[in-house]
Amino acid sequence: RQTFTFTPMDNLESPLNLSIPTGSHVEWCKQLIAATISSQISGSCEWCRSSCMLMVIKVPLTGLCSVQNLSALRYGAQAKMFQNQVPLLPGETINTTVKDVMYICPFSGLVNGTLTITDYKLYFTSVEKESHFVLDVNLGVISRLETISVPNQGENTKGLELVCKDMRSPRFAYKTEESQPDIVEVLTKHAFPLSHSLPLFAFLYKEQFPVDGWKVYDAAAEYRRQGLPNESWTISKINSTYELCDTYPSILVIPTNITDDDIKRVALFRAKHRIPVLSWIHPESQATIVRCSQPLVGPSDRRCKEDERFLQIIMDANAQSHKLTIFDARQSSVAITNKAKDGGYESESFYSNVELNFLEIPNIHVMRESLRKMKDVVYPTIDEAHWHSAIDQTHWLEYIRLLLAGAAKIADKLESGKTSVVVHCSDGWDRTAQLTSLAMLMLDSYYRTLRGFQVLVEKEWISFGHKFSRVGHGDENHANSERSPLFIQFIDCVWQMSRQFPAAFEFNELFLITVLDHLYSCLFGTFLYNSEQERMAKEVQAKTVSLWSYINSQPEDFTNPFYVDYENHVLYPLVSSRHLELWTSYYARWNPRMRPQVPVHQTLKEMLILRAELQRRVEELQREASSHSLSSSSEHSSSPTHTTGTPLHTTV
Amino acid sequence: MFSGKPIKPTFKCYLPPVQTDVKKNIEPPIKKLDPKLLPGEIVVNEVNFVRKCISAESNQDDPWGKLICTNFKVSFIPQEAPPKQKSQLSHLLLGEHDIPLTCLEQVVTVNDTKGKKKVLGSNQKLKFNPTELILYCKDLRIIRFCFDEAGPESARKVCLAIAHYSHPADLQLLFGFEYQGRRYHECKGDQVNGSTPRGGMQTPIFDRPSDWDREIKRTSASEWRVCSINESYAISPSLPEYIVVPVSLADQDLKQYSLYFTDRRIPLWCWNHPSGSALVRMACIVDPLHQRKIDQRIFTAITKSHTQRSEVIRSDLDKCLPNIQDIQSAFVKVRQICVLDPFEESEERWLSSIDNSRWLEYIRAFLKHSAEIVYYLEGKNVSVILQEEEDRDLNCVVSSLVQLMLDPHYRSLIGFQSLVQKEWVMAGHRFLDRCNHLKKNYKEESPLFMLFLDCVWQMMNQYPAAFEFTEAYLTVLSDSMWIPLFSTFLFSSPKQRAQHLMDFAKNKAIPQGEDQVVYFPPVWEWSQQFSIKDQTLFNNPMYVGKGAACVQNGEVKTFRRTKQKTYSSTLRGTATLMRNGLKEGEDTLTRRGSLVSELKSEFSAVKDESPSERFFRDWFSRPADQQGLLIPLSMPSHVALWKLFFLRWVPEACIPRGGPITAYHKLSQLVDEIEILQSQLRQYKGPSPGNTPLPSPSGPPSDQRRMYFKASYPDDPATTPDFLTSSFPFTPVGNLCRRSVYGTPISKFLNGARIWLSTETLANDTV
Repeated sequence: RQTFTFTPMDNLESPLNLSIPTGSHVEWCKQLIAATISSQISGSCEWCRSSCMLMVIKVPLTGLCSVQNLSALRYGAQAKMFQNQVPLLPGETINTTVKDVMYICPFSGLVNGTLTITDYKLYFTSVEKESHFVLDVNLGVISRLETISVPNQGENTKGLELVCKDMRSPRFAYKTEESQPDIVEVLTKHAFPLSHSLPLFAFLYKEQFPVDGWKVYDAAAEYRRQGLPNESWTISKINSTYELCDTYPSILVIPTNITDDDIKRVALFRAKHRIPVLSWIHPESQATIVRCSQPLVGPSDRRCKEDERFLQIIMDANAQSHKLTIFDARQSSVAITNKAKDGGYESESFYSNVELNFLEIPNIHVMRESLRKMKDVVYPTIDEAHWHSAIDQTHWLEYIRLLLAGAAKIADKLESGKTSVVVHCSDGWDRTAQLTSLAMLMLDSYYRTLRGFQVLVEKEWISFGHKFSRVGHGDENHANSERSPLFIQFIDCVWQMSRQFPAAFEFNELFLITVLDHLYSCLFGTFLYNSEQERMAKEVQAKTVSLWSYINSQPEDFTNPFYVDYENHVLYPLVSSRHLELWTSYYARWNPRMRPQVPVHQTLKEMLILRAELQRRVEELQREASSHSLSSSSEHSSSPTHTTGTPLHTTV
Repeated sequence: MFSGKPIKPTFKCYLPPVQTDVKKNIEPPIKKLDPKLLPGEIVVNEVNFVRKCISAESNQDDPWGKLICTNFKVSFIPQEAPPKQKSQLSHLLLGEHDIPLTCLEQVVTVNDTKGKKKVLGSNQKLKFNPTELILYCKDLRIIRFCFDEAGPESARKVCLAIAHYSHPADLQLLFGFEYQGRRYHECKGDQVNGSTPRGGMQTPIFDRPSDWDREIKRTSASEWRVCSINESYAISPSLPEYIVVPVSLADQDLKQYSLYFTDRRIPLWCWNHPSGSALVRMACIVDPLHQRKIDQRIFTAITKSHTQRSEVIRSDLDKCLPNIQDIQSAFVKVRQICVLDPFEESEERWLSSIDNSRWLEYIRAFLKHSAEIVYYLEGKNVSVILQEEEDRDLNCVVSSLVQLMLDPHYRSLIGFQSLVQKEWVMAGHRFLDRCNHLKKNYKEESPLFMLFLDCVWQMMNQYPAAFEFTEAYLTVLSDSMWIPLFSTFLFSSPKQRAQHLMDFAKNKAIPQGEDQVVYFPPVWEWSQQFSIKDQTLFNNPMYVGKGAACVQNGEVKTFRRTKQKTYSSTLRGTATLMRNGLKEGEDTLTRRGSLVSELKSEFSAVKDESPSERFFRDWFSRPADQQGLLIPLSMPSHVALWKLFFLRWVPEACIPRGGPITAYHKLSQLVDEIEILQSQLRQYKGPSPGNTPLPSPSGPPSDQRRMYFKASYPDDPATTPDFLTSSFPFTPVGNLCRRSVYGTPISKFLNGARIWLSTETLANDTV
């Protein structure tokens, strides 16, 4: 009796072309790139990005891919150039080229090729069996270098693993030779330039973009958009020299009725001098989102009259409510422990009409650990049988849920409760930034546009001193306990919202992935350093390029064709495990088996093109017909040219 | 938001309106409430002053009305007609508050004060007066009625009537037999005999040789023939009267072979690949002594019918797929998690619970196995026999999935319906037993068809432009299983259908020779259930749009068959390795292990890869042609819970103004616009270019427009309509005995405490 059993088809490793003798996939990819460059349909670009994986284009560098895209003219028909030469960015220089390096692909075994290390990236290329293989890893993404044992490959062979911040760990094996510089040494130097007194690559990068991204955020203009200043709130220059608080921006919005002396006293009572300042004001109710750090009440329950009065004034600035709600992002137990360390929280008995809520969000160390577990789940292989349970065990989605739930509570307090809120955690630059920016994204449709989102990030994260050192730019101390994926968590929350409301955001998934890729890449100056003051000192704006320069030079790539403005509509995501998903196209994109689903928006874009073509033809015919009928009879007035037209926020 | 324009007060709030007086003294108004009855429907019992519980927090929003049990449905008639909900799917035969008796899964009565409850069956006694009635429905709704103001005795009677009538003693007692008889005689005058065969229905039923002939021609299966040895079910009661068999087998041989098969089910041809390989399904051979001989003859005949005389491979589904009980228990668990368990509690470790139910695992197993069959038919060009003990359950799922993957024809609406007709209805899937319509034998109950629909949804989810129909269609189709008015899901075999329908015709004085499809229509006659406008919700704009693109280029493109591809010689060369379907060196997947062992395995130059793995890898590395071969990914990351189906009635899981429907809305509008433009172009070009009529700016007449959401005019705001939710076109309001629609997470946070009804805890210890 004949029977057969099957191997799981998932065992196949789809898009890697290594052993496809025809190399047809490479050809196809090239065509796709060509198509992408010519038509700039981000759909195909995105498809290519994720499906080609380690192939001709490099995923981490969606940026780079499109940078080339921008400078396509300079490269001309450059598909061939990829073959033997290392594509370089303006300002990028090659440090070393090593031949006979083996890339240990977790999916298809060994690949022999040439490794080039520049001051920006590691570029591995191989021409085997007519198929071209490229692995491109920007150095900024490397968290640490590890030597690994390589059995059966001779004594001189060394193994190297690049443990990356973006959920992958490529491995190489190479022969050590006296004549060649040591790969590890060169890599270490350029992957961690700050630890070796070298500049970050952002300061060497010389690309010219038609748009200047540094002009995206103008604090005064943003507050003006919100209707500020008004009678209760003023735009203050008190921190113009960063004397009051060195981690705050120079422009702050504070209540009108308070003296500079009082503010200084409040600053002394708040951790890191981060006083309560306005982040956002509701256009109707005047309820505000105010952010700050924890009060320094200490073990003896210190009080500060000025601080109490400050919050009272914030409450009074909103005539709609006689209450003020403080959202302390921390777990209540932690907040209590903090009292012993001279921190603490506002006592409801000292602050009248104040309601204190703990959002019970764990700290940065818990988040770091959670993402570390996630990496084990998604890379290099996935456990088919227990995939969902494994995700559950990382608790990553649980924390995403906590964050979104906290932000939704804040948004609802303003929107439905018409009550002002004060948000803080310990220092007011981590969970606070996550919560205020998410709440603002829910409340204000402006932040859901491509430009508005950039403003939101510039404002709530960059200007208000989120410690981007948590990313560890150019620093070799990978075990630093200050590192934590808080910004990634925020972007993940945004992605979750965009999944629930496919039409509410002007930007697309590629945009979010690009932002995260350049959080690490050190190509742009946007996410470097911890505060406005530091960035001024390093002349970041003068010496580096903004990520938004690149994005806004080709916005069509990052635009969501489904976008419909949910103007004036508060967007509450459904904070339920049932609707939260693991963002596999980001976290699991290095697994070649994670082929993306056929993007719907690509179909939509094709239809938009079709519609434009049809409209053109109808108009042509209408013109013809009307001139025809004019000559014969004049009874028809010209029919409307645009009979229909759903406004579509896409450039076709 | 901060633009110069005056701010419109359009901020939306999902919170319940402030409740001024907590409990108004509600006096049930007295009003005559007449039920809407279908022809032949009679009221069995009724009770007044019933409250339908649509919210848990306060009962002041709950509608009051009359609860009625008829011979067809449970109906609730509210005192005050609820404000007409805009743009929802409205059923022509069932009201918003109606539940067909066949749709009832469980009837539970509760007495709150006495703390008693009872699950009611047929002909049972009830020793207490119920204060509540909870109806658990097969379409996953849960509906609760309160009798606090109703007459206790009539309440009790209604409950007993509902329980009794939902357990019909005989198939003929299902309401369809009454209704379709009346309908036939009432509509007879309207029909012009012969002009529109089968009432204009386009879906082939496969009850006549011509349907099979057409299918043979369509797939160029020239070495196969229609055989009529089973006419009048002379051979097997569970086979259709006409079947397709290899040309080389004579009727006499087949008759002889049939003796050796379970239920005398000789092999059935399903489909032919353009390259000549065939998909065949068959039951097991009962007599082991003859197995070899029969096998050989069948195999030889199938090989002869292959244009290249390729070998035949057999896949024994009983050995590699979950059985019907496994599937049933997985479905019970996933339903438990999705709709019965308290929402908050099931939030914790949600993904693990889904894993534990094993529902998605089974979905993956079926998709994966079907893809393997596709590899044999397409990649290896060999014929495949699907074998199963009875050939009436798993074979239905796999054969139809394989055909969906290989043949784009089945991804059109008509094609899909013909596939269900061919591989399920006519192939003798025991719908009556598996649906358990008579609630007799729970062991036989299994949601196989539901599993199939979920598999189709997974493919649709992965290839959104490949199917002509939408997930709303699939959901509506699954709901139709529980409406006993159509012949499709009522019977367990073609013979049973024929007999019952013949008796029915006799009893109802329907003239002999009248077509069954006319007097007892299948579910495919959608106009019986939905208006033309509502049926447009079945149309997938992406599919329609792609079609438009083809027409636009001047050629009307029909579904083309997948072209025969030439495969590399390496693949052919490996065929010997696969002889008899036994593979060598299976499973080369690297498992997570110690660093060294992992490295070792990585150090083989290129990993061993089976030909099928290579076939799939090769296929996945190319962009998918949504009108060609389609292989779904069956990795856990790509097989998702079908939210519309499982969560549509759960108010807490409903996203207002969100969900995939918002993208569908936008796409539909765009396609509608494209169709208007195309119709204008046609009008300009016209048949006689000399006298061009001026086109009407409105485009095609509205009844010909295929999109549910019409293009908006330039002045209209392009916002997403308020009525769109992730549950659309269904609405969870009032369909669960839990919270109101206001039970969004926000109000939950604000309210803090969980308010759960006693019913949830009760739900766990029912049965």
